[in-house]
Amino acid sequence: MTREIQSVILVLLGGALLRISLSDVYLRYVKEGMKPWLIISGVLLVVGGLLALAEVLRAERQKIAVLPGGDEHGHAHGVGGPRSAWLLLLPVAAIFLVAPPALGAFTAERQTSTVIQPKEPAAPPLPAGDPVPVTLADYAARAVWDDGRTLKGRNVELVGFVTPNAKGGGWYLTRLQLTCCAADAIATKISPQDVKDLPANTWVQIVGQWVPGGEINADDAIPLVKVTSLKQIAQPSNAYE
Amino acid sequence: MTTVDQPAQKQRWRPGALEFLTAAIIVLLIGQRWLIGLFDSPALQAGATIFVSIVVQATPFLVLGVLLSAAIAAFVPPAFWQRALPKNDFLAVPVAGAAGAILPGCECASVPVAGSLMSRGVAPAAALAFLLSAPAINPIVLVSTWVAFPNNPMMVLARFVASLLTSVIMGWLWLRFGKGEWIRIPRRDHLVGHSNWETFRLTATHDFLHAGGFLVIGAFTAAILNVAVPPEAINAVADKAILSVIFLALLAVILCICSEADAFVAASLSQFSLTARLAFLVVGPMVDIKLISLQAGVFGRRFAQRFAPTTFVVAVLTSLAIGAWLL
Repeated sequence: MTREIQSVILVLLGGALLRISLSDVYLRYVKEGMKPWLIISGVLLVVGGLLALAEVLRAERQKIAVLPGGDEHGHAHGVGGPRSAWLLLLPVAAIFLVAPPALGAFTAERQTSTVIQPKEPAAPPLPAGDPVPVTLADYAARAVWDDGRTLKGRNVELVGFVTPNAKGGGWYLTRLQLTCCAADAIATKISPQDVKDLPANTWVQIVGQWVPGGEINADDAIPLVKVTSLKQIAQPSNAYE
Repeated sequence: MTTVDQPAQKQRWRPGALEFLTAAIIVLLIGQRWLIGLFDSPALQAGATIFVSIVVQATPFLVLGVLLSAAIAAFVPPAFWQRALPKNDFLAVPVAGAAGAILPGCECASVPVAGSLMSRGVAPAAALAFLLSAPAINPIVLVSTWVAFPNNPMMVLARFVASLLTSVIMGWLWLRFGKGEWIRIPRRDHLVGHSNWETFRLTATHDFLHAGGFLVIGAFTAAILNVAVPPEAINAVADKAILSVIFLALLAVILCICSEADAFVAASLSQFSLTARLAFLVVGPMVDIKLISLQAGVFGRRFAQRFAPTTFVVAVLTSLAIGAWLL
């Protein structure tokens, strides 16, 4: 691999990182907190690539041999030497050409629901609001680990996507949670009562009330919600909770 | 490499940056529609998302790692390491292992740093102990483990002890049985520029391109396996004592989850015993597909072939012992 191509690859990869981190696209892959680091490393890669390219062009103009590097150096890189750098074009192509969507029903269907047990045994009361917006993870934790105590009598607003229930029919209102990146996504599922079927990955906003009847005190329990209103919405800019 | 005998090397046509960019733009224009059609299936889409997200998540850490390792190569004189580490290699191993606690990053950063340490004269056994311990016992990882296991604070201690122990055992094993010819210590002499700054820049660029390619192989494999392992398989072995430990250790190898996040995934695998989940947490930062690929790239395939399986066995045995003692 020539040093020219090496530098172009650096610029392309840095450009791909900048492209996703300067818009909301990066939220499909990693957490919000990664944004500054993606921008910094994107800039570093672009600058590094441009510096290397400038060096090559300067050397070419002065007709001097390019100082170390490239495939000139003799150490045994074997098959995978800096030639492995070609592979970096794969994520570049994936980002620029395909821009894969946020994970959805396919991933959620493959796992059980996960309700992480909160550190505090008794949940604090819900904030004011009628209906009050609640994340699926919060709703599930209150329903499963606190017996729905803080949810009783409240109208809650929940946003999630449809994951068909392959075994029992119907569907789960679902949201995925990332800890670091999409490879570690875990699902929270809630079972809405008496709703018509919807296609997988449809985003909906539900207003409803907690009803008892779901399993409790188990981290794969699926709580229930009685639906007062349901409307289809566009996917939020951050698909994860 | 075929150009060695050609005296007139300069005249041979090579695609330059311009030709290369033109080709890239053509592919971009005609390829997009076809490619998007190809990614219609939900499984392929999920696989592509996981592939991109592993690369995107790891790249800043890899950048940090190569900057650190380039700084070591360019600005820290070799004499520093001779003073900082005990002369006796046997003692240097635990010291280097414990020093891993101060590199706040995940496993992608530690591979180039360990390579740089070796080429600056640190004993390979000590650098390897550092390579294994750094991603597992740093404060960020320990805090996230503490948050993920609210009811089992002993998990943090168990993870710390088992990871440090595994890395020290591996360092000593290398000292006793390791052969110099198995490992390719990254050579830096061709990356020495006219000034420290130039050396820094050349080393960082070279290391990034080099390791980056291997990161891509690892992320690609992990994405395929992530989508292909049937979820029923996971529940089927959960209640088998020893089998479940080995199974979760293998799952850690396959999933390639960043060490700063793996505790939350381990917490969600609640159908498994705590010891099995400890094995998941100890093995993950030390042996996983993207890491094996990175190690093969930096230290050579002969190294990775021996080092990764041995680390796996030692990590599983250590987890069993520490799990029985502490959990």
